[in-house]
Amino acid sequence: MVVRGVEPVVLDLGRLENLAESGYYNPYSMFDWPDVIEPDLPWMSESLTTLAGTPMWDELSREQQVALTRFEAINFFSLNIHGIRELMSEVVMRIHERTYAGVSEFLHHFIGEENEHMWFFAQFCLRYGGKLYPAQPALKAGSVDHLSPVARELIVFARILIFEEIVDYYNAHMATDASLPAIAREINRVHHQDESRHVAFGRMIFTNLLGQVAERDAGEVPVIAEYLESYLQYSIATLYNPQAYRDAGIADALGVRRRALAHPVRRAAHDEVLKRTRKFLSRAGVGREVIK
Amino acid sequence: MSVEPMQAVREFIVGRNPQLGELSEELDLIDSRAIDSLAFVEFIFLLEELTGQAIDPEDLDLDDFRTLRTLQLRFFTKEAAW
Repeated sequence: MVVRGVEPVVLDLGRLENLAESGYYNPYSMFDWPDVIEPDLPWMSESLTTLAGTPMWDELSREQQVALTRFEAINFFSLNIHGIRELMSEVVMRIHERTYAGVSEFLHHFIGEENEHMWFFAQFCLRYGGKLYPAQPALKAGSVDHLSPVARELIVFARILIFEEIVDYYNAHMATDASLPAIAREINRVHHQDESRHVAFGRMIFTNLLGQVAERDAGEVPVIAEYLESYLQYSIATLYNPQAYRDAGIADALGVRRRALAHPVRRAAHDEVLKRTRKFLSRAGVGREVIK
Repeated sequence: MSVEPMQAVREFIVGRNPQLGELSEELDLIDSRAIDSLAFVEFIFLLEELTGQAIDPEDLDLDDFRTLRTLQLRFFTKEAAW
């Protein structure tokens, strides 16, 4: 693929590359996978489930609550896997292109680490949940085809960054949640550790490409801000998987999903998850306040 | 949900695209980006809730989603091909 109309991306990535090298580990041998997980433990922090803080959570039996943490953990890890599949394919198609030649060294670390993350998420899902949830249905028609080439490049890396920042909110919390099984805590901890580098890189490349967009046509910035806000909302909604509700024995899964997404406590929780990312976007000049 | 199904479909689309105002039966919802890839999943869930039927993501025909008329024909007529 040839990226036209985009200047070469030049970033100082020496520190991140050194950290990637010094922190390198073998994911295939570092985890201690138990044969089974303790039957009464939640797999996801209860406060991070999609019904937390609502009457719908209180109405569940304890068995259903624990089941929901388990199926939402499988959903969360499945979303990670599908998100990694998407971002890896985008990055693989760009590495060593002229625009990205200067950052290819870091992109090699990035692709390698993401592949390893995908492996340990899939291990957890398949060993203990017996399945992955499928990717969300996608519309092939592009929703950014009307944007300039450089803005489309920005959107590719913005989607990666937003996905990683949202996931990291959950990982950071669960890395230290003593109520979880050790293996769940450990996967979240290791992912959180690697993602701090990926988020740092993501913010740098986002800033570079946004600068190129603004220089070419500042009028495109509010359009991008609108897309990014929609993408934030979309990403949050993917955590509310009706199939996870059904698997946990919850009736009227679609109605529960609709009510939960609109519940004021959940809306406040979404704002908390997105706070750091929204602050970054606003500081960069592409926050939701610039949408026309 | 007790709203008339096609009214709920209209409200979903206009709610996300207030600039559209009155929705024409023949507006191409995909080409006009009234339903884009970020809205599509929510739209599928809405249709599933309104029809009470699961929609197989592996078996989607984009043309069924192009206009209000095709949506009505595909999902809300007695002859709807489930």
